[in-house]
Amino acid sequence: MIRKKLDFGRIIIGIVLIGFAFLCLIPFYYILMVSFSDPALVKEGEVILFPKGFSTKAYEMIIRDQKFFRGFGVSVFRTVVGTALAMIVQCMFAYAVSRKHLAGRKWFMKLVIFAVLFNGGIIPTYLTICYTGIFDTIWALILPMAVNPWNTIILISFFSALPEGLEESAVIDGASDVKIFFKIAMPLSKPAIATIGLFTAVSHWNALMDAVIYINDSKLKPLQSYLIDLVMRSSTQEMFGSMAEQEIPTLSIQTAAIFASTLPILVVYPFVQKFFVKGVMIGAIKG
Amino acid sequence: MNQKKRRLYRNRYLFLMMLPALVLLIVYRYIPMAGLVIAFKKFSFAKGIFGSDWVGLDNFIFLFTKHPQFLQLVWNTLAINLLKLMFYFPVPVILALLLNELKSARLKKWIQTTIYLPHFVSWVVFGSIIIQFLMPSTGIVNAIIKMFGGEPIFFLAEPKYFRGIVVITEIIKSAGWGTILYLAALTSINPELYEAASIDGASRWQKMRFVTLPGISGTIVVLLLLEIGRMMDVGFEQIYVLANTQVYLVGDVLSTYIYRIGVGQAQFSITTAIGLFQSVVGLILIASANFTCKKLFDKNLW
Repeated sequence: MIRKKLDFGRIIIGIVLIGFAFLCLIPFYYILMVSFSDPALVKEGEVILFPKGFSTKAYEMIIRDQKFFRGFGVSVFRTVVGTALAMIVQCMFAYAVSRKHLAGRKWFMKLVIFAVLFNGGIIPTYLTICYTGIFDTIWALILPMAVNPWNTIILISFFSALPEGLEESAVIDGASDVKIFFKIAMPLSKPAIATIGLFTAVSHWNALMDAVIYINDSKLKPLQSYLIDLVMRSSTQEMFGSMAEQEIPTLSIQTAAIFASTLPILVVYPFVQKFFVKGVMIGAIKG
Repeated sequence: MNQKKRRLYRNRYLFLMMLPALVLLIVYRYIPMAGLVIAFKKFSFAKGIFGSDWVGLDNFIFLFTKHPQFLQLVWNTLAINLLKLMFYFPVPVILALLLNELKSARLKKWIQTTIYLPHFVSWVVFGSIIIQFLMPSTGIVNAIIKMFGGEPIFFLAEPKYFRGIVVITEIIKSAGWGTILYLAALTSINPELYEAASIDGASRWQKMRFVTLPGISGTIVVLLLLEIGRMMDVGFEQIYVLANTQVYLVGDVLSTYIYRIGVGQAQFSITTAIGLFQSVVGLILIASANFTCKKLFDKNLW
């Protein structure tokens, strides 16, 4: 009797969790299903729950769309260069601040913490970007994101936890701070650097707000801006019925573009997963 | 004095390593803070941030007495955050408690992998899919409504549904990832407590209630306080993607308004005043959250 009751509870728990997991998967299922269905049937509104008539036409059209490619290129550039720059700059800073013999160490730490708690807000940051001459250039997407105070704090706490004996023996052997950083501290901190690096890369790839505010040049619009234009155009059309019929990107094209732009995330996801499961939990606080 | 100089000299490489980040931090984080002075000025591009004329508290007086939407914007921001606090906040706690009950490690890992995934997708992508789901002509939701003989509803153009949609999409996108801190806290619960509870004949629910929940209550309180500290802040991208002119009355929040009017119509001073108000209230909230945390647990939030 008691055993049966226990199993019942477990089944409910299982159902609730699996149900939520499916809820999370439905969006991905939906874009896959629609984008690979026959565009003609999608237009008729016949593809609602299950795929109909396999076709890669939508993807062929996306691949031929120059704007998509340009957006993809901008996103790849900002992600690769932005992440590399952010990691080098933040690691060097964090390592230096984590050294106990650094003069003014406490003050530098306070400078970073205060930047987490308080910020100038949208408009003053926008004006600063205008005055420093990077408005409407690719650097507007890279430089302001290069130092993330929160990630820097995590890196500082990580470097601080490195055993001091290693550094002391290196100093006795005549190594300089720079040498210790590259030869000892960096290799020892690979998991932390990889975790923060992956989070930084994901946020670069997904960022929309900075492109919306700092970029006007259509050649410099990243993929996320391209996507929102694509989707917004069709939803305003549905709402106001004002645009010409042939201009509307069909649902098939929209879903194909969405899937193509999410693919890089899906490819790196298993690695991200591996790293945060491995235990640099502190990086999780950020999300 | 000489000793101090020697110390600085010994640190020369460290200072050199700090320099690039320090410059970026000062230029893109601290100069904007100084730029907040334009909330007290009549900003003109030609005169620059520091050369523009002072107007004292005029911008703030205008905001609180004459500005047509300001109080509505503050309320929209608070309303969305309060709804999130009520309906979103408990979800990761419940999910973590349920995950903890799963015996099968494989199922647990599969569920974790799945529910973390939406967190890594951009709001543009996730929001676009939601928009398509809710379309009156082609969306799944309306297809189901039509199947049961109902009238299709254009959810995203109806003010009464908007805040609900914001909270529900937030739950699907972020609640799974939100479990990660609770799951981390769960690993630190002493397994002997469960054994002792079993020997005393505690049921699954009793163990959950009296062993697991107290084990993560510290984390719950800390995250709750942090959430309260962010009360004036709604994620810009979520609203930017989901909202449209039809629902601005309930869905327009401080950040989207600042962007639209500030960047879009170049009304820099008044929007900076709104931003400053938002930041200062945020700072006060987080400082009081920290104070509460110190009183409760004798430690800082950060």
